[in-house]
Parts: sequence; C-alpha cells; structure tokens
Amino acid sequence: MKKFLKIIKIVLTVLFFSYSIIIVYFVGFSSKDGRFKVAEHAQGMYLSQKMFDILIFQNADNSDLYFEKSVAFNKMGQYAKGSELLDKAVQIDPKIHLGYRGWLKLRKLRSFDNALKDFDRLDKLTPNVIDAPWGEDIDFLRGECYYGKKEYQKAIDMFNRSIKNQKEDWADIHTFVYLGLCEYELGNYEKAISEFDRALQQSQTTPESYLGMAKAYHKLGDIQQAKNHVSKAEEYIESKRDDVYNELLNEIYLSDVIAFKESLNN
Amino acid sequence: MLVSFLLALLITCWIYYQGTHRIGDIAFNKNIDDSKFEVCNEDRIFQYYSVGTNYSNGEKEIKRQFSELMSNLTFKNSGFITFRFVVNCNGEIGRFRVKTVDTELKENHFEERNIRHIEEKIKKLKKWNPGSRKKQNFDSYYVLTFKIEDGKINDIF
Repeated sequence: MKKFLKIIKIVLTVLFFSYSIIIVYFVGFSSKDGRFKVAEHAQGMYLSQKMFDILIFQNADNSDLYFEKSVAFNKMGQYAKGSELLDKAVQIDPKIHLGYRGWLKLRKLRSFDNALKDFDRLDKLTPNVIDAPWGEDIDFLRGECYYGKKEYQKAIDMFNRSIKNQKEDWADIHTFVYLGLCEYELGNYEKAISEFDRALQQSQTTPESYLGMAKAYHKLGDIQQAKNHVSKAEEYIESKRDDVYNELLNEIYLSDVIAFKESLNN
Repeated sequence: MLVSFLLALLITCWIYYQGTHRIGDIAFNKNIDDSKFEVCNEDRIFQYYSVGTNYSNGEKEIKRQFSELMSNLTFKNSGFITFRFVVNCNGEIGRFRVKTVDTELKENHFEERNIRHIEEKIKKLKKWNPGSRKKQNFDSYYVLTFKIEDGKINDIF
C-alpha cells in the first residue's frame, strides 16, 4: 500500500511539474510566430499584453510587437500608452507603421494636422508607391484631413488626385461624395450636384449623395428637385456610410434627412 | 508533491487572472461610482464596437446637446479628454473614467472643474441604445472623446 501511495505521489508530482513546465514553455519559449498569433487574437486581455511584453523582451527590434500591443490601448481610449507604443513601432519601421498612425489620428482623434504629417512623411519615404494606409488610398485620407480642416480647395485637389490614381471606376465612392460636399461648401452648387451624381453613377443607393444634391438644389431654388432627392436619401438611408468604431466626418443620420425634408415643407 | 501542486495552482491562478481581465475594464468603485447604477452582467461587459452600442442620431446629436457647453467652457490647454463608461443593457450609463492627453498624445491635465461639468452633462444624455446581439441587449463599454482646441471644446466623437 505504501509503495502504491509513493507511486501515486511520484506520478502526481511529475504531472504537476509537467503542467507547469508546459504553461511556462508556451507563454515564454514556444515559437515566436505562434505566441504572436495567440497574443494578437487575445487582444486586450492582460494575458495578451504579458505575452507581448515577453516577446518584446526577447525581440526588442520587432516593430510589429509594439504596434499590436498598442492597438488595444487605442481602442479603449488610452491614447497616452497606445501612442507611446505606436511611436516606438514607427521609430523602428516608419514605412510600415506611419500609415496606420496617420489613419488612427484622422479617424479616432480627428487630429488632422498630425495625421497629415504622418501621411506626408510616409509619401516621401515611398516615392514610387501609392500608399494605402490601413487599406485606404493615401490621397483620399489626406482629402478627408483637409475636409476636416475646412480647407476645401486643398481637399478637392487631394480627392481628384485619388481619383486620378485609383481610376474613376475603382475610386472610393465617397471620394465623389466628399467632392460634392467641398464644392457645396465653396458655394459651387451646380458643380456639387455633378460631383454627387458621379457617386450615383457608381451606386444608385448612396444616401449622402441624394441629401447633398437636395441641399444644393435647395440653394439653387429648385425646391421640387430638392424634395425628390431628399426622399431618395430617406429611401436609401440604410445604405449610409458608417463605421463601428467612430462616427465618420461625412456621416448622415435619418434625423438629418427628415429635418431637412421638413424644412422644405415649411 | 506539495511544491509541484502549489506551483501548478499558482500558475493556474495567474493564467485565469490574465485571461479574464482586460485593458480598460471598469470595476465598481464605491468611492466614485453611483451605487444606483447597476450592470446587468458583471462578468460580461462587451466593447461598444462588438455589439453596436450607440447614441440615437450619433455623436452629432451629442454635439447638439453640448452646444452650450462648447461655447461656454474655456480651457488653458489643448488636447483630448476621453471618457470611458458603461452603457448597461437598459441604456443607462455609469462608472465614468477619464483620460487626458495633449495634442501630441502625451498625458496632460485639464481643469478639473471643466471635466466635472462635461461628466455631469454626459450623465444627462438619455438616448443610448445598448449593445445587442440576436435581439438580446448587453452591457458594454463606450468611449467618448472631446477635442479641446483654442481653449474650447472643438469637437466630440
């Protein structure tokens, strides 16, 4: 019986130690790629952050580690810590991370000047490449920055450059919407209508274009056309541009459409 | 055997803690939080972007509600004030936490009185749509950022 208990003790000791060793090996010594993927998928968890800390300790020059670690902080609104990590990633490999940093500053912080600085620096670092920060054309994003700054002519120049580079059929449909919005702000209402119409040539269900056209027709005194287009905006509002993370600069809501529609009837 | 057991237990507890806590989690703090505000499930508070939490008519509507404060409040510094709070499954809000950074995204400070003014105004916003999945509402964390420029609240998003 004593011998049996001793065997049990030895087996359990081996099992407990093996379990501990496997966990320690997995967290600290298994394949770096594997650990990176696990930490990436567990974004935001303390475990993920600890695994990134260990990976950074073992490979301090890997910019992707700082970048991935920063994402959770920025998503949670902890920009001081997120920015510190992202800046480190940019410092190590600016060509890879400047675009994302600019995109983040534009979309999550509406920090237009700082976003433009990053986009312009990236552009200079990659002279023969049309960059696409976080999957969007760099000139479209620069256009959004200038639109946010209310520098509408510069925004128009950027959006037109984006269309030239991407080609009419491949450009982001909201490039045309923004062109319409900029022309509207500059008081060029007929030009605004033609720009909004370019978006509708790509998709007939673009409520931002219909609302923009309705407002432009209203400015031109054509109330019937304004009413026709605002009704279309209402009909297609479900197709509006939105984003789960942040309100977009040109985002519209059903309440905007209805308020404008009612103002036409008064 | 005892040592190996304790080591395994310690590692398990560490893994459990690391795997169940997230950056930005807000636990109830009786010193600063309203005890009347309750979450529906303390163990399952999502991020707003995972369950579509939003304010009716968006941040544009929040800006309309803040128009007076945007005109009246004055600040010495520029930067960003970010409020993180819980929208519970009934669309009520609570557990406010604040982070502040300058325009270069380094930590800084804004007038405490102004921050309290903003927080009190946020508490008066009543048209929150709680996050949901498959027709079930959930608690979630929401992030609302105030951009401070030229001494004023310049934007809210």
